[in-house]
Amino acid sequence: MPIVEKSLVEVDRKEHLEVEGIDVSGDWNTFLRSRVQTDLDVRVVDWVKGQPQGETISRCWQCGTCTAGCCMHTDYGLTDFNPRYFIYLAQVGYEEELRRYASTIWRCVSCNKCVERCPKGVKVEEVVHTIGTYLTLTGAAAESPADRFDRAYTENLLARGVLDEAALFRTYERLEGRKTPAKKLLSMGLSLLRTGRLHTGPLAHRTRGWRRMRTVLEAQLAEDERRRKGALAPATPAAGGNR
Amino acid sequence: MNPVLVLGGGPAGLSAAAELAALGAPTLLVERESYLGGNPQRWHYSLLAPDLRPAQEVMGPLLSRVENHPSIERRLSTSVVRAELRPKGYQVVLKTQDSTETRDVSAVVLATGFDHFDSRRKYEYGYGRYPDVLDFKEVEQMLHEDRVVRPSDGKPPRRIAWILCVGSRDVQVGNPWCCRMGCVVSIKQAVEVRQRHPEIDAYVYYMDIRTYGLWEDLYWKSMQEYGVKFVRGRIGAVTLAEGGSRLIATGEDTILSRPTEVPFDMIVLASGMEPGTGTKEAATLFGVPVGPEGFLTPRVSDLNPVDSGLPGLFFAGAATGPKAIPDAVTEGMGAALRAFQYARL
Ligand code: SF4
Ligand code: SF4
Ligand code: SF4
Repeated sequence: MPIVEKSLVEVDRKEHLEVEGIDVSGDWNTFLRSRVQTDLDVRVVDWVKGQPQGETISRCWQCGTCTAGCCMHTDYGLTDFNPRYFIYLAQVGYEEELRRYASTIWRCVSCNKCVERCPKGVKVEEVVHTIGTYLTLTGAAAESPADRFDRAYTENLLARGVLDEAALFRTYERLEGRKTPAKKLLSMGLSLLRTGRLHTGPLAHRTRGWRRMRTVLEAQLAEDERRRKGALAPATPAAGGNR
Repeated sequence: MNPVLVLGGGPAGLSAAAELAALGAPTLLVERESYLGGNPQRWHYSLLAPDLRPAQEVMGPLLSRVENHPSIERRLSTSVVRAELRPKGYQVVLKTQDSTETRDVSAVVLATGFDHFDSRRKYEYGYGRYPDVLDFKEVEQMLHEDRVVRPSDGKPPRRIAWILCVGSRDVQVGNPWCCRMGCVVSIKQAVEVRQRHPEIDAYVYYMDIRTYGLWEDLYWKSMQEYGVKFVRGRIGAVTLAEGGSRLIATGEDTILSRPTEVPFDMIVLASGMEPGTGTKEAATLFGVPVGPEGFLTPRVSDLNPVDSGLPGLFFAGAATGPKAIPDAVTEGMGAALRAFQYARL
């Protein structure tokens, strides 16, 4: 009999459900999955370690100093966000457990307190982000708003070699499926312009020789992306389901 | 001057004998086995932690200092079966397979050492039953011969686990003490395996990692440079996987707070250190007080760890507790000096 933990079960309550005339209302999804961890998967840590920001992951010895001072965990009280724990799961190879945190791991605000304090020199903030990236690339985590913003930002910058903030805002709104009312947009834009906090980018500035530069950058970005994803191609398929 | 008796030919005894000879004292070195060198020689230790120096580079010079010295009388395959205190030193009876001989000695250094815990006593780990559960001294030999394969089928393992504290820190086997060496030696083995076979995954199951003092460095390197993985929790049992070829380590990952049943191709047990048979016998023969653990007890271990407090009787090495080779060698030197001072009075 496997040991099970009820709190891990997400109950799906159907108040009134009828299937072919039969009343099947009640708590669905209450089949308990075994809590026994039956495998270790080194692919996560291998990939994380292979990224420039992730290479310090294997230093971690689980002292908890990072989590103790983490803004998100301690100050903000998001106890599910536990950098020490994320690192352990990735390090030892509990990928399934790690996936449960796919939507939480992005909450890091990059205050870098953890990096300042870690006695083993783990670049905790970078490592946690790298683990998050792993989860996104392997499809465990939906692309986060931060990801989408990063993408919009990069594309915007690539277009002319200088940031067009108004365009960035529009693209980002489209990506998020949001729409700020035109009136609000106008007043916000005007006051930002007046206080010098909105940069008009290409209207006021040209980057000389940008076309050539862009070709080089794009090639490099494509290469990076290929490498990132390439390394993720499932390495060794499970040997008899036991690996 | 009657010779000084050094009982035990391991690192501590070799060191004591060599120093006594260097001081000019006639020395009688008695060893029950047919060879000198003690446990490192017996189990063919590979590299020594933490500097990863081949054991031969340490044992070689220790042995040759003793083997080539004219004033050291070496008696192998010999035990002391009786000892009586005399006004000056002891009278001892030496016994070999076919002879006995009575000798007067001016002082005694007990360097009778330790025995590795017999891992079969920890029956739940399946040592002796499953060929791929190994004691770490056997892995020393494997590494020494540079042949890391599963004994069951001769195939290279893909994933190895080390279980620490086997027969140590465990009241069930009556050994509550820490072996001091298990952590650093296991980590060293994992590093050796990863150095030569990076394709093998190495996991260490621990309750604490006790790589004290400067040994910490090897522990850090093992993670950082060799990717050795550490899982917190003590394995409860080892079983054979269905189908019969891999081993399943059943335990709790205490960080995950979840039970784990993970397959491994090989499992290595870091067996502890117990007072050696020779140490137990010597305690009775010479009437030396032993602690609750069965190791010889120096009278004031803080003040002089090599003094028994009994006339003309000194200790060196793991006879008084788990000890690394450098410590055993140092104590051999200390005991030699103290025995020499006593013998010359
Ligand atoms: S950088 Fe992120 S993980 Fe580190 S302390 Fe700040 S919020 Fe926590
Ligand atoms: S502070 Fe550093 S070593 Fe400690 S748990 Fe956090 S990352 Fe690991
Ligand atoms: S040295 Fe390590 S393996 Fe040996 S008993 Fe102590 S903690 Fe356990």
